[in-house]
Amino acid sequence: MIAYLSFELIVQLVVNGILYGTIYGIAAIGLSLIFGTMRIIFLAQGTMIILFTYFGYWLLELAGIDPFVSLLIVVPLSMIIGVLLYRSLFKESAEMDDKNASLLLAVGIMFLVNNLMLVMWSANPRMANTAYTEVVFSPMGITIPFTRLIALGLAILSAGLLTLFLKKTYLGMAVRAASENMLYATLVGINPHRVNTVAFAIGIGLAGVAGIGVLQIVPFDPFFGFTFALKALIALALGGIGSVFGALMGGILLGLLESLGSFFVGGGWAEAVAFGAFLLVLMFRPEGLFVRSVKKA
Amino acid sequence: MKDMKTFYTGLVALIVLGLIVVPFSVNVERSYLIYFLFMAFIYVVIAQGWNVVGGYAGQISLGQHAFFGLGAYTTAMFWVHGLLGTGADYYFNPLLMILSGIVPAIVAIIVGIPLLSRLRGDYFALGSLGLGEIIRVFFVKGGDITGAQDGLHLPSGGYESMLPYYFVGLLLAVLATVGVYFIMRSRIGMAFRAINEDEVSASSHGINILYYKILAFAVGAFFTGVAGSLYGIYIFHVNPDSVLNINYGLYPILMCVLGGSATIFGPVIGSFFMAGVFVIAEQHFPMIHPIISGALIVLVMRFMPTGIVGLKSRLQRD
Repeated sequence: MIAYLSFELIVQLVVNGILYGTIYGIAAIGLSLIFGTMRIIFLAQGTMIILFTYFGYWLLELAGIDPFVSLLIVVPLSMIIGVLLYRSLFKESAEMDDKNASLLLAVGIMFLVNNLMLVMWSANPRMANTAYTEVVFSPMGITIPFTRLIALGLAILSAGLLTLFLKKTYLGMAVRAASENMLYATLVGINPHRVNTVAFAIGIGLAGVAGIGVLQIVPFDPFFGFTFALKALIALALGGIGSVFGALMGGILLGLLESLGSFFVGGGWAEAVAFGAFLLVLMFRPEGLFVRSVKKA
Repeated sequence: MKDMKTFYTGLVALIVLGLIVVPFSVNVERSYLIYFLFMAFIYVVIAQGWNVVGGYAGQISLGQHAFFGLGAYTTAMFWVHGLLGTGADYYFNPLLMILSGIVPAIVAIIVGIPLLSRLRGDYFALGSLGLGEIIRVFFVKGGDITGAQDGLHLPSGGYESMLPYYFVGLLLAVLATVGVYFIMRSRIGMAFRAINEDEVSASSHGINILYYKILAFAVGAFFTGVAGSLYGIYIFHVNPDSVLNINYGLYPILMCVLGGSATIFGPVIGSFFMAGVFVIAEQHFPMIHPIISGALIVLVMRFMPTGIVGLKSRLQRD
């Protein structure tokens, strides 16, 4: 294995890791918002992502809409779904101290959506094909698929927009305040339901973005969602809960761990490396690797 | 109060007696009822295991499937590799089944020390989920020892009847429930409850928090491992997809919360209910049964987040 090792290869592995990791990053940002405001571990996030991937796939196959144009449909739709999820299901359980109910609600949604997808689209792995799926840039002998580059751009764009929203708008600041301390936020007049609704809308909206990102990058099937949710959780822990930038960096770090790990220690073990890093970070830096100040234990 | 206790003891004895009689009134080998009850017994054991650590001690573990798998794999590995000696009878060997509980309990102690000393609340839940996945990778990558992705095939020649499965399952379910009852009445149980209520206060009353948390984790792992062993003997083919499935980490939580966690009979009610739902859905709607199960989980958690037992007290309060 080491015999094949060259500088180009290392660079290629790093590039692959970063490009793939940004998708984990977007998923993690969504989780971070939902966890930050409501302390809900939304295990269904990965399944929602794959659901939107299938939406994008349908729009492409049935209506011939380009995946990146379909973002205009899928993202608003996913935000509406997010609002409905909160209003109809999570409103009561978000208020409870006991988080079992909300965790199990997420698990139930995961089972339900996962198997609905299985019935509707079967377990065959699929992948979208467009005119530019095969387009590849190769600067200096490194291969960069065009679709992954767009996914990277999407991730950075949505993280940037979200940061602007959280820092500059009144509602965004309320969301941040609520993730710092829901009780105090409520005391200064922030309506928790409104904040939670926004968090869910954006969280699931980001699942829509990630879903379209996945569409042309990897073959997907309904079961992919759970793995994806676990990856997003790892990225979240690595990056730190409550920070958009941290979650994105956590995703990239996880992508690097996986890409380099699968080369140096082999495919299956790379997963153990990722989870090992996850446990170590949880234990020794629960505030995440990319957050400077310690705000939460 | 005394009367209520006698009443409940009588009721439980009657139900257990009824369950002992059931196999003699139906065709054991072909009856769906026996299969349903057998699965319900296994669920009761893993649900009581979670009840101790998650319900009473309040440490939400999302990694119980690792212990279920460890139990099944311990049985399978001892059996396939003949580790108890060549002349030994491995089929329903009580020593082997107990061992299959002890191994997960030891693993729980070893990983519990770093995890439970450093992680609280949600973070422990996440950590235990990670732990479960790491253990899965070890078994998938275990080569000939664990049979990798294909797993281990147990010699199924010893199978004669469903009866021993039924009675061992019933015995384990009763032992687990009675065990939880006595643990929770002892000093240990009180320590669990105190930790769940308020860690700081418990610690200031001289309770060694870490020791009791690890104890709860290990007891939960022991129950789950023994259930895994029985399930392994039942399916004869232990592989990562069958026994290290995340479902065995989530079902016990579902059953406990559904019936009412941190109660003695809540998990039992939840287990029988869910086993019934699974079996009926499997039989009548084979294509869409996980959809029904998923929808049911959502509905139950939406409308009775404190479970069936909790529903009673909620109704009384309203």
